[in-house]
Amino acid sequence: MYSAETALWCALLAPFCIGFVCTALPGARIALRVMCGCMFATALAGCIAIQAVYKTGPVRLASGWLFLDPLSAFHYGVLLLVFCLSSVYALLYFGQELRTGRMDRRQGRLFSGLWCFACAAMTLVLLSNNLGIMWVGIEATTLVTAFLICIQVSRQSVEATWKYIIICSVGMAFAFTGTLLIGASAKGLQLGSHDVLLWTVLRDSACGLEPRLIQAAFIFLLVGYGTKAGLAPMHSWLPDAHTQAPSPVSALFSGFLLSTAMYCIMRYIPLVEAATGTTGWSRRLMIGFGMFSILIAAVFIVSQKNLKRFLAYSSIEHIGIIALGLGLGGVGVFAALFHTLNHAVCKTLAFFAAGRLGQLFGTYELREIKGALHRSPVWGGGLFAAILALIGVAPFSLFMSEFLILKAAMDSSLFLVSALLLAGLGTVFICALGYLLPLCWQQSPHGNPDRGVFITAEAFLVYIPLITLLALGLWMPESLQSILREAAHIISGTTTASAIAGIGP
Amino acid sequence: MIEFIEILLMLLILFDLALLGVSRLKTCITISSLQGMLLGIFTVLAHTQGLTLRIALIAAAAFVLKGFLFPRLLGRSIREASVSLELEPYIGYIPSVIAGLALLGASLWLGAKLPLSSAIGIPLVVPAALMTFFTGLFLIIARKNALTQCLGYIIVENGIYIIGVASVVEIPMLVELGILLDASVAVLVMGVAIYHINREFDHIETDRLDTLKG
Repeated sequence: MYSAETALWCALLAPFCIGFVCTALPGARIALRVMCGCMFATALAGCIAIQAVYKTGPVRLASGWLFLDPLSAFHYGVLLLVFCLSSVYALLYFGQELRTGRMDRRQGRLFSGLWCFACAAMTLVLLSNNLGIMWVGIEATTLVTAFLICIQVSRQSVEATWKYIIICSVGMAFAFTGTLLIGASAKGLQLGSHDVLLWTVLRDSACGLEPRLIQAAFIFLLVGYGTKAGLAPMHSWLPDAHTQAPSPVSALFSGFLLSTAMYCIMRYIPLVEAATGTTGWSRRLMIGFGMFSILIAAVFIVSQKNLKRFLAYSSIEHIGIIALGLGLGGVGVFAALFHTLNHAVCKTLAFFAAGRLGQLFGTYELREIKGALHRSPVWGGGLFAAILALIGVAPFSLFMSEFLILKAAMDSSLFLVSALLLAGLGTVFICALGYLLPLCWQQSPHGNPDRGVFITAEAFLVYIPLITLLALGLWMPESLQSILREAAHIISGTTTASAIAGIGP
Repeated sequence: MIEFIEILLMLLILFDLALLGVSRLKTCITISSLQGMLLGIFTVLAHTQGLTLRIALIAAAAFVLKGFLFPRLLGRSIREASVSLELEPYIGYIPSVIAGLALLGASLWLGAKLPLSSAIGIPLVVPAALMTFFTGLFLIIARKNALTQCLGYIIVENGIYIIGVASVVEIPMLVELGILLDASVAVLVMGVAIYHINREFDHIETDRLDTLKG
């Protein structure tokens, strides 16, 4: 237990400290390498802690203010995966930018530092047992990642940064009001100042929370954290930020930053449900926001002209699917968590490929990128497979999780929801194929320019996520099933745990 | 003492209304600075019975950050961007004040409706907090200037601060200081972003930031 705690402290503090080191290093390349090494070392420490959670139970730090339970351990695992993949990619991507002079030494150092800080801030969110610290962590991610968007300063990136800061800061203000209201709703419990915002304490005595206040709190929290998660109609910052950020940052945003905010909402669902007498009130709200996000994303995807913007709207769609799964309860929660993993892996790959193709073609405009498969078989193929997976083509694992969510909706006799979900998914499917076919196969008007230098690491960055998605779609290991089941059990509480038992694709 | 706190809260509400009706950015910043100082004093007054080191520290931090540091940061941005007036806001100044009065009504109604029993036993606390919160949001939505929007964010934070201090149970000091630190960094980050906007666009009117669409 002692070593797990030490490992967790290291995993939290190492990126924070190395962030300062990176900004002070003389060169950009060395800073990027140090950042990359730090991420793998953090992943190693993190894995030790995660393993301890499943062997011996939750790991607690700082007198219970920080903890790692099966729900946070699952998310932390996804975070480490996304960060490791994206860091290697950042090394390749920015190496190219440095070679072509589109990025200077100072920007490279700043990026490495901010990247490490972002990792530390997201880790803090996942480890927080104190809801106030959780808020501090997520606000810190906003402030740190704001400059990651405009690391290469241009008119568009500055505009996107401003939208991101102002919209997400206001969202965070809402989330903070919600957190305070949660504190106020616990007044009747006579908790001491140490315990008042502790999630574990509130969960154990959730029945004593004032229901009306906690309902008001949840609305504030859903709007606040939902803004950061990209749930419609609070999503307006998301397409701009994803389009303008450098591709490694877009991959991180879509791959895990949105899920971090969703994780915060997941923590509140069991509290609200227990306090309101498991009436399903919070779940209905989740279904509403989830459905709305899916439909809004589908409408905007119809007329996209930019590859990264298309992927950004696809993120809104998938966050909507996760929210819908959480709202459906039972199998839906299990599927939503599975979808979080699938989407993180798949969207990271999609942004990797989009970024490298963008560098090759010099644009992200869909009508100007033609014959990507011919020009770069690795990245063109990667993008093709990633988008197929994203739109739910079998046998990729996203198909399985979406299918489970649809099944959960049908089982709950929510036929309108099922029909709307199918309509949304169908629209995205058709539009995405319409963009994808010319993008990959159509002959480029500029002939067949050189294919660029092939790097083995690039192939690994494409194949590792792809094989993962394919393997998880065909066969889910027993260990992953039990990890997902334990995490889902925390969100669902005891009432629906029996429904989840034994579920797996 | 209660009368004194009530006067303080009324002043806060008046400052909110004044913010809605003023076009000079410098005056707006001065008002927000005064509001910040009032919040520091309010924190101490609201806890005269059980004034602890924790509360005194939080009050001092709020007084210095909201009363001096934020206004200075914004003042510097004004000088760098060389703007002094908010021109042609989405919603004019007189309609803004009228909207402010409607917001005040809504705050009073919502304050009575929410079961937030004030820890210091003054019914005006929750409406004043909500009014400040709404005023901040209104400024962010109804004004075009990036600086006014940043100011709106500070006002929103002020509103939340009142709720936190007056009507919610004790939050651990570490959390409170973390929150104040986050708010300060947020203002700093916005200041840097405004600097970049001004350098790239030669203005800080957010309605003219329209290169990204779709």
